[in-house]
Amino acid sequence: MDVCRSTSTTRGRRPSAGSHQYLTLTVALLLLACSSQLLLVDATNNWWSLALTPIQRPEMYIIGAQPLCSQLSGLSQGQRKLCQLYQDHMTYIGDGAKTGIKECQYQFRQRRWNCSTVDNTSVFGRVLQIGSRETAFTYAVSAAGVVNAVSRACREGELSTCGCSRAARPRELPRDWLWGGCGDNVNYGYRFAREFAVYNLANVACKCHGVSGSCSLKTCWLQLADFRRVGEFLKEKYDSAAAMRVGRKGKLEQVDKRFNAPTPEDLVYMDPSPDYCLGNATTGSLGTVGRLCNKTSEGVDGCELMCCGRGYDQFKTHKHERCHCKFHWCCYVKCKRCTTLVDQFVCK
Amino acid sequence: MAGAIIENMSTKKLVIVGVILLFFQAFSFMVGGPTTAVHYLATKCVDAAKNHQSTKWFMPWGPNQCEKIRTFDEAMAKKIEANNIVFAVHIPLPNMEMSPWFQFMLVILQFDIAFKMHNQIEDGALATVDVGLAYRDDMLSEWTEMAHSLEQRKLNCNFTTTKTYENEGRYYECELLPFMEVGSVAHKYYLLNIRLPVHERKKINVGIGEIKDIRLVCIHQNGGFTQVWFAMKTFLTPSILIIMIWYWRRITLMTRPPVLLEKVIFALGISMTFINIPVEWFSVGFDWTWMLLFGDIRQGIFYSMLLSFWIIFCGEHLMDQMERNRFSVYWKQVGPIVFGSFCLFIFDMCERGVQLTNPFYSIWASDVGTELAMAFIIVAGICACLYFLFLCFMVFQVFRNISGKRSSLPAMSKGLIFRFKFLMLVTLFCAAMTVIFFIISQVNEGHWRWGDHTVQVNSAFFTGIYGMWNLYVFAIMFLYAPSHKRYGDQSSGQCIISDTGANSGEDIQLTTTITHVDGPTELYKMTGKEAQE
Repeated sequence: MDVCRSTSTTRGRRPSAGSHQYLTLTVALLLLACSSQLLLVDATNNWWSLALTPIQRPEMYIIGAQPLCSQLSGLSQGQRKLCQLYQDHMTYIGDGAKTGIKECQYQFRQRRWNCSTVDNTSVFGRVLQIGSRETAFTYAVSAAGVVNAVSRACREGELSTCGCSRAARPRELPRDWLWGGCGDNVNYGYRFAREFAVYNLANVACKCHGVSGSCSLKTCWLQLADFRRVGEFLKEKYDSAAAMRVGRKGKLEQVDKRFNAPTPEDLVYMDPSPDYCLGNATTGSLGTVGRLCNKTSEGVDGCELMCCGRGYDQFKTHKHERCHCKFHWCCYVKCKRCTTLVDQFVCK
Repeated sequence: MAGAIIENMSTKKLVIVGVILLFFQAFSFMVGGPTTAVHYLATKCVDAAKNHQSTKWFMPWGPNQCEKIRTFDEAMAKKIEANNIVFAVHIPLPNMEMSPWFQFMLVILQFDIAFKMHNQIEDGALATVDVGLAYRDDMLSEWTEMAHSLEQRKLNCNFTTTKTYENEGRYYECELLPFMEVGSVAHKYYLLNIRLPVHERKKINVGIGEIKDIRLVCIHQNGGFTQVWFAMKTFLTPSILIIMIWYWRRITLMTRPPVLLEKVIFALGISMTFINIPVEWFSVGFDWTWMLLFGDIRQGIFYSMLLSFWIIFCGEHLMDQMERNRFSVYWKQVGPIVFGSFCLFIFDMCERGVQLTNPFYSIWASDVGTELAMAFIIVAGICACLYFLFLCFMVFQVFRNISGKRSSLPAMSKGLIFRFKFLMLVTLFCAAMTVIFFIISQVNEGHWRWGDHTVQVNSAFFTGIYGMWNLYVFAIMFLYAPSHKRYGDQSSGQCIISDTGANSGEDIQLTTTITHVDGPTELYKMTGKEAQE
């Protein structure tokens, strides 16, 4: 929880957060883990660059005079401080962000906006400075990715601050552990996850170990879901996201009151999505020119919708597939590459 | 004439005893969570040595940690083979220590297997794991090997979505695999090194899909719970022991030899004491891995004794024209109990008994073992059903006879019949509580909210049921002991046995001049008379 606490103090010190994005993020993404809030301090934050900057293993610069945090681009002042506090976490936060971006790109591979990254520092470009649905989704999925990665690192024993420690009183840690075990707390990542929608996706597994293996004694635990399922879940939330606006008292209220009010587990947004059809330097939209599309589909991935009615070009290309595979060992199957000639369509 | 205490005690005292027992019962439900499950993710270490027979241990973190790879793709790129990859898990996590208070360690294995069109899990795939377990007691010393084994586990996985290219990379949903069980946690640090050797020609670890990760869940008892549990046992042992001695003294003070029912109650007391004796205290100081098995056996003895007691208790109150009071009359009913518990004992020996030598052994891992285990459990289940039918039938008969013969039993007051029915109901209540709590703890795998307090159903089940049966045995011995009220009248001026055996020194010159024959209960005497007629 320490991360969360430091976040709020950071936020308090920087009240310049009047921008739409900030509001969207705090309210909208209540479901967000604090790890994401920690990184959402400023309007122009680009912490995703952690996903792209190759970070060396932390032990390499722990002794070094100039720690990595000041070298990283895209971090705000507050984030930089946190980064220094939790240096060992940064690699995993970067990994998590990477997983999140990948999942985002998978979920949106057939949409006009496909979660593509543009450059190393701003990562997604200016698009995410608009408080749109897409922004909400991106934040949610990357937070989930971070939760996943931190929890994973904890289980591997990579992070020294995990376990049932409450960072405030680490001295009592072994005693707590001896007395009551750690329960859910042991997975530091879960601490974020507990308030997080992803928690709902986790399923419960149990083991009976009473007399003769009977169920007179049973232990249950939570298992985090496959990340693809998390992505799908958030995609559903994206589709049902609620439009919000700043009311008279400066509070967020729903634009269309006929709908059910969003719960803390729903995504909300404030700005309409920009036009993703055409490239626009102001909004940061990349446009769909050059995107592949499906000629036969009538959905969003179909050429009609994807190309926004501009039409498409057809060309032939070689498609490579794995075939005649030979098993080597569990995780390595050697395959030949078979090439077929296929038609492909690209938006004008 | 002296009856049992239950017949002679005033209702007021009876209620007081009942309330005190209920109070202890409530307390035993309030104890915290019994076990903790801790997750571990195996670190993939690279064994650079050509010869894998070396006794090198691979540490996942800390000083002297191994050379790691993050994914198998990385292994591919570096041309590292499967046999050179060691999955290392250190129990516990950094900055923690294991402790003897944890009592046992149960490890569950889970594979993360990604779906790949060209590398799917075959039907009935077997994973072969080469696993070593080592321990040490401080962070700097060398690892000492505890066990090493080549184990096979059957993969029961299914893929819930359609098997298309689109869904490559999603994980299979696999059943949990029992992996390891250690009956004592005598050391501070444990290290597991797991290998997945691949041998194409021998078909070892072929067709098990693309393994991404190995995850372990380690279950152990909480230190706090263990302490409360020990305290409870330490408290209960003398309580039951004292009442047992007191009870038996009263029996021996009578002129007649003890009847079967009294002997059975005494035997119940002995088995309760046997399960109560807190020998577990030794597990804190000694590395006794058989403690888990011993605990099972003790529990088994007690429950078969309890079940036999009910049968005999009902049988002795059956008021039919048969000469009872002999154990041989009950072989037909007690037989299934003994046979059923014997089956469970064999099963337990096959699983936990073998685990004494090989902690990785699981009877469920092989097909023959699974069938054998199922057979034992089914036989035990059939015995349980038979027993239950017998018992229901006997209880029904007792109630029918009592209500039928009430007019012909003038010596018995209405209150007396009520008390018998009351004890019957208490038995039924205890049995029902056991079953209900069992079901609840199965259905509801979490906690119950009670205001701000969460009651952990599972531990409530564990300690509550244990406490309940203790109180039950206590109450039976107390209520069925011969009452002293009438002795007092006859042996005037003599020292009377007190409620506890604590001041037994005064009882030395206790009277043995009671001349008449006492039955254990009025009802019992009536039935006995009838049987003689």
